[in-house]
Amino acid sequence: MLFVELAAQGLVQGSIYALIALGLTLVYGLLRILHVAHAAFFTLGGYVGVLVANQTGSLAAAIFAAMMVAGVGGILAFRLCYQPILDQPPFVPLIASIGLYIAAEELFRIVFGAQGLTYRNEFLQGQVVLFDFLRFKHAEVVVMLGSAAIIGVLSLLQIRTRIGIACQATVSDPQMAESFGVSRRMVGDINFFVGSALAAFAGVMVSLLNNLVEPTMGSVPSYKALAIIVLGGLGSTRGALAASLVLGVVESFGTVYLGQLLDRNAIAFAFLIMILMWRPHGLFARR
Amino acid sequence: MNSKLAVAVAAFTLHLGATAHAAEVKIGITVPLTGFAAADGKSALEGAKLAVAHANAAGGINGQQIQLVTYDDQASPKEAAPAATKLIEKDKVIAGVGGSYSASARAAAPLFQAAKVPYVVAYSIHPDVTLAGNYVFRTATMGEVQGRAGAKLSSDLAKKRVVIITLKNDFGQALAAGYKDAAPKFGLEIIKEYEYSIQDRQFGALIAKVKSDNPELIYASGYYFTAGPLVNQLRAAGVTVPIIGQEGYDSEKFIEIAGAAAEGTLVTTSLDRDSASPVTAKFLKEFRAATGIGADMVAASTYTATSIVIEGLKQTGGKGGEALRKAIEIGGFNTPIGTITFNDLHEVKKDVQVQIVKDKAFRRHSVISDPVVLAPPTKAK
Amino acid sequence: MDYEISLATTMAISVLFALSLNLITGFCGQISLGHAAFLGVGAYTSGMLVKAGIPFLLTLPLAMLFSGVLGIVVGLASLRVRADFLAITTMGVGFLFVGVVRQQEIFGAEMGISIVADPGLSKPEFMLLSVALAAATALFSTYVRRCWMGRVFGAIGEDEDTVRVLGIDVPLFKLTAFAIGTALAGLAGGLYAQHLKLIAPDSFGFIESVTVLSMVVVGGIGSVTGVAISAAVLSVLPSWFQFIGDYKLLVYGGLLFLMMRFSPGGMAALVIRLSRSLGKGAK
Repeated sequence: MLFVELAAQGLVQGSIYALIALGLTLVYGLLRILHVAHAAFFTLGGYVGVLVANQTGSLAAAIFAAMMVAGVGGILAFRLCYQPILDQPPFVPLIASIGLYIAAEELFRIVFGAQGLTYRNEFLQGQVVLFDFLRFKHAEVVVMLGSAAIIGVLSLLQIRTRIGIACQATVSDPQMAESFGVSRRMVGDINFFVGSALAAFAGVMVSLLNNLVEPTMGSVPSYKALAIIVLGGLGSTRGALAASLVLGVVESFGTVYLGQLLDRNAIAFAFLIMILMWRPHGLFARR
Repeated sequence: MNSKLAVAVAAFTLHLGATAHAAEVKIGITVPLTGFAAADGKSALEGAKLAVAHANAAGGINGQQIQLVTYDDQASPKEAAPAATKLIEKDKVIAGVGGSYSASARAAAPLFQAAKVPYVVAYSIHPDVTLAGNYVFRTATMGEVQGRAGAKLSSDLAKKRVVIITLKNDFGQALAAGYKDAAPKFGLEIIKEYEYSIQDRQFGALIAKVKSDNPELIYASGYYFTAGPLVNQLRAAGVTVPIIGQEGYDSEKFIEIAGAAAEGTLVTTSLDRDSASPVTAKFLKEFRAATGIGADMVAASTYTATSIVIEGLKQTGGKGGEALRKAIEIGGFNTPIGTITFNDLHEVKKDVQVQIVKDKAFRRHSVISDPVVLAPPTKAK
Repeated sequence: MDYEISLATTMAISVLFALSLNLITGFCGQISLGHAAFLGVGAYTSGMLVKAGIPFLLTLPLAMLFSGVLGIVVGLASLRVRADFLAITTMGVGFLFVGVVRQQEIFGAEMGISIVADPGLSKPEFMLLSVALAAATALFSTYVRRCWMGRVFGAIGEDEDTVRVLGIDVPLFKLTAFAIGTALAGLAGGLYAQHLKLIAPDSFGFIESVTVLSMVVVGGIGSVTGVAISAAVLSVLPSWFQFIGDYKLLVYGGLLFLMMRFSPGGMAALVIRLSRSLGKGAK
């Protein structure tokens, strides 16, 4: 009974991680950059979501606005920040990204205040009860179903549409793809847009679950998501998804049973290091 | 004749210069303005500023205006120590107010002690703070004492089986220590204690486990940004037993975040919103007028600490050092958080307020004044 | 005067710490995002030994030893993974260190350890010690860079595979870099513990690791002078300009980003570029 509940909680957490990690994987697969600042779009999504929801009273509008704003922000980040430094050694975009994230977090604090924002209406707070003992908030169900749906749709798009195939081609062999007329810049735009929009969706969902948007809400996801995509095998979408869910469940059981020994983050990273020692290229590496 | 005049003019000018230089009395304060504790820091600063504004409006100290010198310590000892050093050596403050968390207070206190500058800590509750020496005072109820009060409250509510959820920092652990210490005396059975870290906002796994323990009451420590989500999620998961929190919950933000789930939460704290004391009521009114938001425990405590320093200065006529220390030590102060006196370890002796969330606001529930439970540690320990 | 002495000590310790990272990141090209853990190992080792009654100066070599040994262990991990992975792994090590220390009572858990014992040195003497050690580290770094080991380090940083093909035992060099760098970080940790008189897990977390990395990056990865200057300046910048106190982290983040975006070689590269263009102008 408890085990099932813990596993269910792990899946909820894992779904949230998956939404964030997916965007990160898309960017890495394309550009080989660890886009730490990705978490800033998670936070941005939360803020836009709260502000729009409190203004208009509509959750749908809030989600849409959050995803659009973050998506555009992602494209800007790509064009202004990353594109110019793609030819530098890998640590350059990594550190630039870290700097960008820190600056973003501080900007959120300075503009919106350190105290954080809350929702005026209680969205998705209703309950769903399964099998008499599994209780989920509506928001939690939306997260799980939402991420499953989104990932399913994305996979379909990747295989079935021209754009999707173009993206995949650019990842596997950029020069070949370019010679076929696929614009690297367009693929970059798409990846950043989609990835950032997903992170924003996750941000809105998490802010609903906690009823709190804070400037620092992205800091834990920023490095956890990195751990996840490394765990899954950099660049592999399926790997990122699997790693997210696995990590969510591991954390869930870990915090309850190992809580006296290590804190939550340490558990996640201990797990990561163990797996990396066993499989240095990640669980589902492409090569 | 001329030389005498010249000397007189010179002396007069010097005197003027000296007076102009010493026209202000400087009180130093360290608060977390950036970092994870920024929200509390801002609140604390507002409380201190209000106290200084009041005093200045009433003429300051012997006609001299008070200047509040503020440094950001990010609630980290790494920043608190240099900040304290700067206050003491560069700004040469006459007294210091500790408006930050325990880790910072513990780093700053020894520095103030060594420099013989009185240091009044507002809301850090770790025991080591006052052990730094006799120039350090604390206006907050110590963690252990609050924990004990929590245990008494639990027994007053006729509950026996308790689960403790502890925030993993010195604040939470000091509270838990006090609770666990007093629990056997009140016949409480602690089923289990769980810990969470200050960054956690999602407690799904923890709550699932707590549910399986089936407690009659939950004693949970945290700040509003952890307690809000925690209480919200506990209720959403179907946990209906009473929850006792502490002064970390004491903020309107807690009620805002937890929403309907906050109703009925009990909190042991220092600020009684329904207090009959005119000092408290005046403070609450003026704080809201000055800042637009309701005061919380942090603001009230820092206001109190600052006022005590100012009161002491009034009594010594603006002198600091040993005279100020003595004045604070023997004084009785009427403050928004109650009548304050200090024992030989410079810990406060005051009642613990129990507030309950009713209709989206903190209201008075009861007061714990049992002197045995509330006895702060003394030097004779 | 006391305040200035305190400031100088802080600067010296930061320079020492940054130079130690420079050895690993700058010379050998290995990105470490968890370097603060080694500062922590040194700090806790020295602090706990001092509390147990061992004279301060004696604890320093022990702090270096512990950090260096741990560095070798982490270095062994670095052998299996490369570049981006290494960054994440070292980050994980950082979190593990903090996570473990937070939980155990012997390390003071959350509350940390207060060091009341006297180091046996007065404040000015302590400052001189710190400055001397920082200067020694700078000289040592410069020497390493010039000698053959440094050349190998540099080559590994540029093109690891080629170096391997040349028959050089790359793993051994990487390990050596890690060991020396982390041992020096441990030394900085010992000084840090005495300077602050309170060691708590929060001082050695991810933010701390990023901060020291930013000092190295802004100075110019690999440049001893650049890193020393940037560490000295950045460590006390907020204290000098109180008005940026509230914007401190914004400045840090912005600086990092702008530096990487416009001058990845750091200030050192900027200076070289400037002097070149000035030289051209003079013609």
